Amino acid sequence: MNAPRKQISKRALSLWRVHGGISTGISVLVAIAVIILTNLFSWPIWPSLVIGAVILLEMIFSIWLIPSIRWERIRYEVREQEIDYQYGLFIVKRTLIPMVRVQHVDTEQGPLLRKYRLATISISTAATVHKIPALDETEAENLRHSISSLARVAEDDV
Amino acid sequence: MMSEPKRLHPISAVLNFAKGLKEAILPIVAIFFFNGNGGDGFLAWLPLILSGAFLLIILLAGFLKWLRFSYWIDEGELRIEHGLLFRKKRYIPLERIQSLDFSEGILHRPFQLVKVSIETAASSGLEAEAVLTAIKRVDAKELEKTIYEGKSEQSSFENDAEMPEENDRSLVYQMSTKDIILMAVTSGGAGVVISGVAVFLSQFTEFLPIEAIYEEVVDWLQFGIFIVGILAAFVLVIAYGVAVILTVLRFGNFSVFHDGDDLVITRGLLEKKQVTIPLNRIQGIRIDENLIRQPLGYATVSIISAGGSIKGGDEQQFKVLPFIKRKQIETVLTGILPQYALDVSPERPPKRSKLRYVIRCLWLPLLVSIAVSVFFWPLGLLSLLIIPALIGLGLLNYRDAGWNIREKQLMLSNRFITKQTYFVKKHRIQSCGYSMSIPEQRSRLSSIEVMVKTGAGKTRARCLYLDENDTKTIMKWFQT
Repeated sequence: MNAPRKQISKRALSLWRVHGGISTGISVLVAIAVIILTNLFSWPIWPSLVIGAVILLEMIFSIWLIPSIRWERIRYEVREQEIDYQYGLFIVKRTLIPMVRVQHVDTEQGPLLRKYRLATISISTAATVHKIPALDETEAENLRHSISSLARVAEDDV
Repeated sequence: MMSEPKRLHPISAVLNFAKGLKEAILPIVAIFFFNGNGGDGFLAWLPLILSGAFLLIILLAGFLKWLRFSYWIDEGELRIEHGLLFRKKRYIPLERIQSLDFSEGILHRPFQLVKVSIETAASSGLEAEAVLTAIKRVDAKELEKTIYEGKSEQSSFENDAEMPEENDRSLVYQMSTKDIILMAVTSGGAGVVISGVAVFLSQFTEFLPIEAIYEEVVDWLQFGIFIVGILAAFVLVIAYGVAVILTVLRFGNFSVFHDGDDLVITRGLLEKKQVTIPLNRIQGIRIDENLIRQPLGYATVSIISAGGSIKGGDEQQFKVLPFIKRKQIETVLTGILPQYALDVSPERPPKRSKLRYVIRCLWLPLLVSIAVSVFFWPLGLLSLLIIPALIGLGLLNYRDAGWNIREKQLMLSNRFITKQTYFVKKHRIQSCGYSMSIPEQRSRLSSIEVMVKTGAGKTRARCLYLDENDTKTIMKWFQT
């Protein structure tokens, strides 16, 4: 079984880096608060050092490493009978969703996603929801159309 | 046809009151006891007055709820109107109704009443779609009949199907009292009771003069380890006894019937419960074998059903064979679900995944016990004693994992503590996938998992660390 062919938009990378930047920014604020408190109450210095190291790691992971690994991993393919989806960070996960099982398809777009003209598509079966994040806007729209028309053909209970 | 609006039996006012009381008991107790420094005159009476008023309101609400509740069947719909301040109407088309579940509490039985829970495919979450708190048993039977007729009318409209045979209820399985007692003894139920007792006792330590007692106890301990041991054994036996009695009350008269297109489970000595599972909603079968029961050759069989709601963790409603000899399962189930083949011999994960199974059980407890050993040096080392047990569990997990494909049926078995074996049909699987971590990739192992719909949610069946080729076989099987 070959991996599914399609990859998500390259812009997803920049989006995730921005996300990583924001979360690192919040951690930096916390760290600043701790440093101020350390000065005020003359606490020992080592907690600040630990926090600094953690922030450095967070920066490397959340801005640089994780987005690129994740982007490289995500592959998908919509065939007539099924949706083939691969994702995961350190664990590769691969899921097959038969068209007949698809109940409905949603696309959603937050403010950041909209800025990058991206959208997240979620495919719901009776039991599960599968989200393909940060697809190109028009691609997501097309996908939604094609999946919902393909899914409508087959009628089956539950 | 019951097109006239009907009311519930008046006893449901009492039941409403009891239910309201159960929810409000904590605030009432709080008001009653936290009366501060006592105060004088009016203030001293305030808590009493307040809790009295509270009780009165609950009583009145229970009565009004009963007064304003009416139900009837009209135009192929079950219509329910209720509500104290806001009038609520709920119309449920008869053909949408999946099942009627009956239960009888202690208050129901003297008056020949039943509580009816109405389930539709949409009843998600905690509540049934509609609940008739108390109606006469004959009315419930009639309601069931009317709904049944309403449904078959609809279906004969669609495909001229022959009328389903009337009430050919046949007994499929019945539990003997011996089985029930054995089930109680081998379940974890006693553990729950023991921890309940412990929690109960820990509440009292606050009121006891611990310091003074402690001195006494230390003296007493000098000669009393033996007595403590006996006492502990005594508590254990009592807890087990309570657990057994509770189980007998809940599972007494447990029987499974095959009724047309439904499976009907009835059980309970004090409170009678009846659950209906439509056969066409069944998504799969699960067999559970816990560590005590497996060596004895006993197992629990549950049915994974798409209908019905999850009521407060009352999962027993779908346990069709709560306690049965592993060997008997086949013969009992072929009567109800002949399309499932249960006596398949599993394919096993390869030898090289054995170590992974052991590590999976071991790593977290090992970290914990190392930490414990460091912090509570020398005594903490005792925690390392669990390591051999965990290695044993890991090996057991390896031994009990397996998969099998037979025509359209997939079997996956997996153990963490309890061994779970799933049987599902291909057309009931919602999604199928595998996962591979980086080290697994290196040794060409992967874990398969399939999702099946259960009630409002999903059930995951899986098998870990299979040979890559086996996973691919399963994926291919699923694709075609």
